[in-house]
Amino acid sequence: MHNLGTKHAFYKTHAKNRTLWKRFAIVATIIVSSFATVQMVHAAQSPQTTGQAIELASATLVRPNDINSGALLFPSKREGYYVEAPRLATSVKIDISGPIARAVVTQRFVNPSKSWVEGIYVFPLPDDSAVDTLKMKIGDRVIEGLIKPKAEAREIYEQAKREGKKASLLEQQRPNMFTNAVANIGPGETIVIQIEYQQSVKQDAGTFSLRFPMVVAPRYNPKPIVQTVDFKPGQSGWGAVDPVPDRDKITPPILDPRTNAKINPVKLSVHLAAGFPLDTMVSHFHKIDVKSTDETTRTLTLANGEVPADKDFELSWTAKGTAPSAALFQEEINGESFIMAMITPPKLTSEQLAQIKKKDREIIFVIDNSGSMSGQSIKQARLSLETALKRLNPRDKFNIVRFNNTHEMVFPTAVPADKENLDIALRFVKNLQAEGGTEMLGALRSALKDSIPRGQSGKELVRQVVFITDGAIGNEQQLFKEIASNLGRSRIFTIGIGSAPNSFFMNRAALIGRGTSTHIGDISQVAKNMDALFKKLENPVLTGLRAVVSGGIMSEVTPDPLPDLYLGEPIILSAKLAKISGKLTLEGEFAGTPWSVNLDLTKATKGSGLGKFWARRKIASLEASRSRGKGPAIDTMIEKTALDHHLVSRLTSLVAVDVTKSRPDGEPLNTKDMPVNLPDGWEFDQVFGDEAKIVPSSAPVISPRNMARSFGTKMAFLIAPAASPEKAANIASGHSRTRAVILPKTATPADKNIILGILLLILSGMIWVTSKMWRGTGNSVLANAKRKSSNFNLLP
Amino acid sequence: MKQKQETPLTILMGLVVIMMTVLGLSFVVSGVWIKAKAELAQVLLDRSFEQTIAEGKPVKPWSWADMAPLARITAKRLDQSNIVLSSASGQSLAFGPGHMSNTPLPGEQGTAVLAAHRDTHFAWIKHLRPGDNIEITGSTGEIKNFTMRRAWIAPYDQSGINADSNEHLLALTTCYPFDSNEQGEERYIVESVLRE
Repeated sequence: MHNLGTKHAFYKTHAKNRTLWKRFAIVATIIVSSFATVQMVHAAQSPQTTGQAIELASATLVRPNDINSGALLFPSKREGYYVEAPRLATSVKIDISGPIARAVVTQRFVNPSKSWVEGIYVFPLPDDSAVDTLKMKIGDRVIEGLIKPKAEAREIYEQAKREGKKASLLEQQRPNMFTNAVANIGPGETIVIQIEYQQSVKQDAGTFSLRFPMVVAPRYNPKPIVQTVDFKPGQSGWGAVDPVPDRDKITPPILDPRTNAKINPVKLSVHLAAGFPLDTMVSHFHKIDVKSTDETTRTLTLANGEVPADKDFELSWTAKGTAPSAALFQEEINGESFIMAMITPPKLTSEQLAQIKKKDREIIFVIDNSGSMSGQSIKQARLSLETALKRLNPRDKFNIVRFNNTHEMVFPTAVPADKENLDIALRFVKNLQAEGGTEMLGALRSALKDSIPRGQSGKELVRQVVFITDGAIGNEQQLFKEIASNLGRSRIFTIGIGSAPNSFFMNRAALIGRGTSTHIGDISQVAKNMDALFKKLENPVLTGLRAVVSGGIMSEVTPDPLPDLYLGEPIILSAKLAKISGKLTLEGEFAGTPWSVNLDLTKATKGSGLGKFWARRKIASLEASRSRGKGPAIDTMIEKTALDHHLVSRLTSLVAVDVTKSRPDGEPLNTKDMPVNLPDGWEFDQVFGDEAKIVPSSAPVISPRNMARSFGTKMAFLIAPAASPEKAANIASGHSRTRAVILPKTATPADKNIILGILLLILSGMIWVTSKMWRGTGNSVLANAKRKSSNFNLLP
Repeated sequence: MKQKQETPLTILMGLVVIMMTVLGLSFVVSGVWIKAKAELAQVLLDRSFEQTIAEGKPVKPWSWADMAPLARITAKRLDQSNIVLSSASGQSLAFGPGHMSNTPLPGEQGTAVLAAHRDTHFAWIKHLRPGDNIEITGSTGEIKNFTMRRAWIAPYDQSGINADSNEHLLALTTCYPFDSNEQGEERYIVESVLRE
């Protein structure tokens, strides 16, 4: 720096500026970088403050709510925590035949411990899946499950468990979430669990699709439910089967889904017999290998053989030429006839569209900015909403509701979509951050609040509520009830965001809300799917659909009532008939213009699984009407339908019991009897990695005697005398009245941080003082030298 | 010495000093924050617990809380009092002592276990002596008195606490050693018996 030349003053100011700027730059860099460092340090430390978190990940102790894909859980000694059984392999075989897909999910497990265990298996399935088969293969024995009312099935299972017989119980927790408990798995034994279900192929705007869920997103459970917790300990061990066990224990997800996914490889193969010549077939999130036998059939497998179960598998296909606009199948089971009809209403021509008077629209967007949406999801949500806003016409009225654990509206009431209002809205959307809980109810209420009271001339106005969320909630029923009772003239459209939205919530909310549901799994899908949704929102709806069978044949049609149809959507109806004859007539209207279609039932093609399809749809309709507040008679009907068709439902379970007894009398089974014995083989490994046990199966089992010994040596009695002898004896004998308690972490890094912080401050102070002193002496020499040299460097 | 020189060395020194100062301050702040949160939470919890007793139903201390106040624990001799939460998860332990929900409630048969951080809410349990009275006020306002019997140190997974004890016990637990800055496996456990 030539700051001491002849143009002294100029250079001085100039240099001063430069120095200032330099200093500013340095300070800014330091602040930024040290914040980054602090963030990293904090990230590294946060598991300490959250106690069990770090242990949870390292010890593979999990809670049912942490389960993101199917897993067999063994109860661990720590309250509410489980040890995951190692998953040897998961294989999925899906057979698509026309409109129905049948899947066999096989998972092989071993019990690596040296004791008899009871395992709980939690897994996701498609929300419209009809689960009808449970097979348990132990060694070379295959046990088939029977369908029973839920309570009875549980009783059978508990009895078998007590008697030492192998047993399995498959229960529905949510229509898309199931649990399977397996009792009396012997040491080192391998178990194969096979679940079979059926689902229907989805059809929308000429595209057929199917999803296989591999992930259950952790659910948020709103506060009011938290307060109804029963704090008493679950004695039967069954409390934990509930996917929302003790709600006070539910904390934000800690287990990194990817960590979990890597250990659950999935093999998947699909045989697609579309029933029509195929054009394109796309797997949206997984690479696949495809073989085609003829133009209607394809067989595909995952390209890499196996994938981690971290995102849903989605397959879609289209027909060559024009997609078939109608299909009709029939099946006879035990003298009962079932039909399934798929009809796509014809597209209206532009003249026809012009004749239909466009209604004024009011559109309310509800966007979820809760913590579960952070990362890619909120980006997708923001982009979706921005795309939607840009598509509005100035004549439309709109508003935005944002929610996490609070909710707010951008405008007090819906406002015209003029430039000024849109700018405000876009700015708002741009600044949305994902954080906090998911209290959806309040937001839903505000969104459904209609400025025009019900029954008043609101008929000319279409009111559409567009929900953008991942639906990671546990209080679905509460929301369904709210929709059912306060829907009025509003229609609900759901946009599922992220790789694993709660599709049960998305579909059921749209069904009850008489709208439609779409899914955006990837940022690249935003433009296409939002365009498809907007076409539906902008075009007239086929309403008032009725299905009539000619000749007075008794029939039961599902879904009941038939939904409104949006552009490009087919009606898929299923009916139970006394006999197959006559005609099926569908009638409805497009904004006042009548529409109808006739199908000759005698020309139906033979299909399979139609009875189950009908039953599953009937159960869904019944469950939906429960949300509308109909009485307990509904439950009886659900139970009967499920039992008749061998389906797992909210009220029925599959139970399989081995005839032979396998666990010897003396061998204890569950955690209650032998708290230390069960998962020890590998819990100790993981928690105390330094205690030299590497291979789980060869790990020595800590017996109660050993435990008592080490307990005795490590225990130091500080003030009071030792425990009473009979108590020690209780512990040593593994007495059934002894239940050990695992204590949580109870230290914070506060003191450590403060001490470390002060040390750093002192050190930095010392360095500063030293450098000051050093400058005072060394710099003057330097300055003299500089001054001399500057004489030679005079600037022109 | 009119002018200071900015040599690479002095810049580096300044950089180090500023970075260390910022880092040091942030550590102090984060430590103090944990303590402040623990204190503040207890004030809010105290209020919501009073309301809980008055209204007869659980009142959340703040709107997004995922736990509710369960009881008040008081040690008169030590002039200490805390609001106990219904959960002993890592998150709720930041706000107050937690009741382990797989153990009975205080006063019921068996051993009720309350856990809290050694450097905040349960810093006082090391001063408890056999014979000391521990008072538990439940959410309906009823008071149960426990007498401190003994204390011991044990690994966290071999606590020696029997949740299904035939007696009516209360166990208070925190990390041990008390003055350690590391997170260890040992726990200090204070056992007291219900006074009928």
